[in-house]
Amino acid sequence: MKVFNVILLLITLSISLNNYAQEPIKLTGDELFGTMKARQIGPAVMSGRITDLEGHPTNAKVIYVGTAGGGVWKSLDGGTSFNSIFDDYNQSIGCLAIDPSNPDNIIWVGTGETWTRNSISPGDGLYKSTDGGTNWKKMGFEKSDHISSIQINPKNSNEVFVGVLGPLWGDGDERGVYKTSDGGATWEKLLAGNLSTGCSDLVMDPKDPNILYASFWEFRRTAYSFSSGGLNSALYKSIDGGKNWQKIHNGFPEGALGRFAIAVAQTNSNILYSIVESNDRSKSGLYRSEDAGESWIHLNKNFELAVRPFYFSRIVIDPRNENTVIKCGLFGSISRDGGKTFKGLGPQHADIHDIWFDINNSDIIYSGTDGGVYCSYDGATTFDMVDNLPVSQYYHVSLDNEEPYNIYGGLQDNGSWYGPSESPGGIEARDWHPIGGGDGFRAFRHATKNIIYSEIYNGEAVYRYDLDKNIINTIHPFPAEGDPKFRYNWNTALQVSPNKPDRIYFGSQFLFKSEDMGDTWEKISPDLSTNDPKRQNQAVSGGVSVDNSGAEMNTTIFCIAESPLDENLIWVGTDDGNVQITLDGGKSWTNVVSNIPGLPKNTWCNHIEASTFNKGTAYAVFDGHYSNDKNPYVYKTTDFGKTWKSIATSEIASFARHIKEDYVNENLLYLGTEMGLYITIDGGKNWIKFTNNMPAASVHYIALHPKKHDLVLATHGRGIIIIDDISPLRQINQEVLKKDVHFFETKPTVIWEQSSFGGNSTFSQFVGSNPSRDAKIMYYLQKRHTFGKMTLELFNSNGELVGTADPGMKKGVNIVNWDYTVKPPISPKGQFNRKGIFMSTQLPEGDYKVVLTKGKDVYESNIKLIYDPKSSFSLEDRKLKATLIKELFDLTQQLAYLVYEIDETISYINAIDFGKDKTKKVANDITIELNEFKNTLVVNSGDNYVQAAEPGLKEYICDLYNLVAGNTAKPSNTHYNNYKMQKGKFEAAKEKLASIKKTDFKKIEKYAEKNSLPSFTLKGFEEFLKQ
Amino acid sequence: MKRITLLAAFSLICLLANAQTADEIIEKYFENTGGKDAWNKITGLQYNASVNTQIGEIPLVMYNSKSGSYVKMTVQGNEITQFAFDGETAWGMNMMSMQAEKQDNETTENVKRALKEFPDPFLNSKENGFTIELLGKEAIEGTDCFKLKLTKQPTLVDGVEVENTSYYYFDAENYVPILVEAEIKSGPAKGNISQTFFSNYQEVNGLYFSFSFTQGVKGYPGQAINIKSVEINPEVNQSLFIFPENK
Repeated sequence: MKVFNVILLLITLSISLNNYAQEPIKLTGDELFGTMKARQIGPAVMSGRITDLEGHPTNAKVIYVGTAGGGVWKSLDGGTSFNSIFDDYNQSIGCLAIDPSNPDNIIWVGTGETWTRNSISPGDGLYKSTDGGTNWKKMGFEKSDHISSIQINPKNSNEVFVGVLGPLWGDGDERGVYKTSDGGATWEKLLAGNLSTGCSDLVMDPKDPNILYASFWEFRRTAYSFSSGGLNSALYKSIDGGKNWQKIHNGFPEGALGRFAIAVAQTNSNILYSIVESNDRSKSGLYRSEDAGESWIHLNKNFELAVRPFYFSRIVIDPRNENTVIKCGLFGSISRDGGKTFKGLGPQHADIHDIWFDINNSDIIYSGTDGGVYCSYDGATTFDMVDNLPVSQYYHVSLDNEEPYNIYGGLQDNGSWYGPSESPGGIEARDWHPIGGGDGFRAFRHATKNIIYSEIYNGEAVYRYDLDKNIINTIHPFPAEGDPKFRYNWNTALQVSPNKPDRIYFGSQFLFKSEDMGDTWEKISPDLSTNDPKRQNQAVSGGVSVDNSGAEMNTTIFCIAESPLDENLIWVGTDDGNVQITLDGGKSWTNVVSNIPGLPKNTWCNHIEASTFNKGTAYAVFDGHYSNDKNPYVYKTTDFGKTWKSIATSEIASFARHIKEDYVNENLLYLGTEMGLYITIDGGKNWIKFTNNMPAASVHYIALHPKKHDLVLATHGRGIIIIDDISPLRQINQEVLKKDVHFFETKPTVIWEQSSFGGNSTFSQFVGSNPSRDAKIMYYLQKRHTFGKMTLELFNSNGELVGTADPGMKKGVNIVNWDYTVKPPISPKGQFNRKGIFMSTQLPEGDYKVVLTKGKDVYESNIKLIYDPKSSFSLEDRKLKATLIKELFDLTQQLAYLVYEIDETISYINAIDFGKDKTKKVANDITIELNEFKNTLVVNSGDNYVQAAEPGLKEYICDLYNLVAGNTAKPSNTHYNNYKMQKGKFEAAKEKLASIKKTDFKKIEKYAEKNSLPSFTLKGFEEFLKQ
Repeated sequence: MKRITLLAAFSLICLLANAQTADEIIEKYFENTGGKDAWNKITGLQYNASVNTQIGEIPLVMYNSKSGSYVKMTVQGNEITQFAFDGETAWGMNMMSMQAEKQDNETTENVKRALKEFPDPFLNSKENGFTIELLGKEAIEGTDCFKLKLTKQPTLVDGVEVENTSYYYFDAENYVPILVEAEIKSGPAKGNISQTFFSNYQEVNGLYFSFSFTQGVKGYPGQAINIKSVEINPEVNQSLFIFPENK
């Protein structure tokens, strides 16, 4: 009976499978995108925020770095170089822990940064690696958002304690201290917080794993406020492995407290330091206990000790001296007298979040800042920046029309910058240029002039930077008589017009427009926000200690979009959830947010994308995470906002931040989300995550280059990431997906003739890779090619085979690079010599046939090469160059044949046993003569450095060949004269060999004939060339 | 309720049908590529290959056996021994002096330890003391794969014995590896993940070999090595392995 049931079920399943077969083909990201790969170009010149530093307990060379939005990085050389080891997972890191009893293998990562500024990203749980960071497994706490601490029993790898801080933007029931006794399989809650109070720090007594200290912090953010502290904030101690906890506040101030820091000295575990946040400034700052927390003495309330507890609550004790402590802070400070007095740390980037003392030498100190990792070798007096951590946190990106195009954007605490999309030798630190200070946000290049706009927080300054004159003017609008105070978002809305090059927009609660690059401004709207007074109390925001940095400013315009099809059609989105539209250049405005179905009220409007296809079409993305709502809200309207349709699907794993419409295919959309990039090829019916060399980083903004077709992503933690030439995606449809092989149309490849000088960075500096200069052959494979032969050949218009390429064999889109070069000539055989290596020469422009052979099946397509239209190198001159190269090519092959004949002659003579015949002397003489002769034709001795042999004829020809081939110019008279000379030398050499063969060698041949030995034979020239 | 039970039963059957152990995957791999007996008869393998470079196609001859190995390349007519090992001494040509030079002790020792992996690290792996662990299924290049962790004899890195693990991705349909990943443990690239992709499996005397592999570092473009032919148990001049003292 059971068998029968199963058979029935199988039939049912097979029917449903048959039905499914008629459904449209849906592919996962790895299947669709094939070999399309993201290119991570950093930069690392300004790096980004570091959240946690940890080192191997016995190997000082191994250092781990947790970052705010760039995942986990590992160094095996004491910080000279780092590699990313957490690409596929949540990139916001709260804490790291290395198992003291198995430090080579067991690493724990708690996701979700705990330095709770307005722009931080939530995590998605706890991860564990058992192979030093190569593979990771999630170990629970999916709802934790922010994990603050991990403590491992040094005597038992399976016993781990975790401190969960919990959600920043709403209630959380996973907050507290947890313990596992089985390596993470199951967890027991030891100390609960409440819906708004979580564990902000958990430390273990280094001598007794049963003694634990846990700080709990009551905190909350909204889009418009921050609250640190409350009556539930407290510091606890357990002496029985977490079963029982006692509040240890003897000596602390009474009443509501904020965030604590806590540290235990490794050299004396009775010594504790704590940082206390109190509304009584005189009682805030550093406390010390000498009796393991029984009592506390207030030691210091210096600025650096009490500053911004939510951002800097960490104190680190020298593992060899309990009286040396470093307090993280705005600039950080160090005490060498047990906390009584402090002095500042040496100059480095501001905002220090963590410190790591080298395990062997306390003068070596690593610090994690808002601008990357720094290292001091002299006990914190001077610091050197690590130059290869590309964890920069972009808010925005825009592009220009230069060739190569430049990339503009602003970053968290690291100003605004622009740099090239490619550069000779790779994109180096020196290629990036600062164009604004402070926290940078939006930056644009003027469409036609050498002018750049950038800004800093809260609209405090908009810069207009004249690149030609190197002049900066600050141009933001000021209130006029009768105006209320302007409210600007921390990340203020600044936008250039797609229709009028000199027009720019700027948004407070009002929309401003300037037609003269910011010299004069016109207010073209009423207050477009909700103007809700409840959302405007930033002056008292902060909780126990006021923190009014401007980051919580709300009821402001956040995004502006002028339609590229109609300059009078402008969209505005606000941070309190309004979507406003004007059709008459700002004379009248309509709030259309109520027409959007399923969107919670007051959800932050992150971006509006005005369509380039239809005036009435626009896309809007809303970010609910400020209200603890991580659903993606992505909508489309086709009727100027009267109706909206959700185009978000369950495939999108986290909240959305940005959307970009393709310029060619209106069904192709790119979605930036908190956990990476999603692409749809069917207008939003299905979304596919792009993961090829693309980390799960938060994508804040997307730009698409109209000529290069590159998709450029501003990530908040992994810098700028480019997907070069997305044009194949425009051509994918169901018909294509059904084919075994489909070639995509490609734009003509411009033959690359520019300088390749560059690449002066040192080994330890990050260099962003360039796009390939090669021609791209793009095709779709329905299935990966694993068995049987597959080749890719290229033929010119005469049907001659001119090259091969290594075919891509992935399922999905394959992009094969073809370097469009001709094989170098067959070279005379000699010793390997660097002066005798012939370079490959480029093929001429023209149409080339691509032939893909896959087993027995043959597929064909075409590809076009063109010369750079801007090149001054005329076709006539190109012909002269090609002619001389061909002559040098032929001369080289003739010389190769001549050397081959010499080698064969010597071999022939050496193979004969002359016994005591007098011919033996002749043979010896000829052999010596031929070897000496050969040495004038090709190098056969010496080295490739300072003991090099005198060049032979081959090396002279090679020198001329490479020079003529490498120049982007017609050959000069010098080159022709030299060619004539080398050709003359060759003719003379040919005659010389002929002469030897006609005279002395005849005696050898006669001897061979007389003794019935084989006669001398030689391959014909054509046969020789077939080698 | 009944439907739920049926579904549960079916899921269980599917699970059992799909369940694979690491040993079963390896058995199928050898079964599909010629059989263990044939693999065990291999004493030497020569790959005649080429790589495309900026100075044209460079022919490579890669020979490997239990007692020695070499890699020779021919650059524009000039043959260079890039690497050779005679069972005791590993060496290669210095491209500046054009003289043979011995590899450092540690490299030589690691090459010696890797002899056990010939002709395939999965062959007789238990006898060699290697361990294989099935980590699960993962899609690679759009293809469902079994992910296997292979732990071999430890290697020496800066004088310290370190675990020597590689991750093999076996195509779940054909049971041949299409990707091998391993952490680079020494040199300036240490900490990066090396990747080798395999394709173009073709038959040679009843055994199947990958005729195209692409090697590189994860995140960067790889270099394809195209195999023109594979010779099983070829006659090889043993003197080619030996370090040329006076050359």
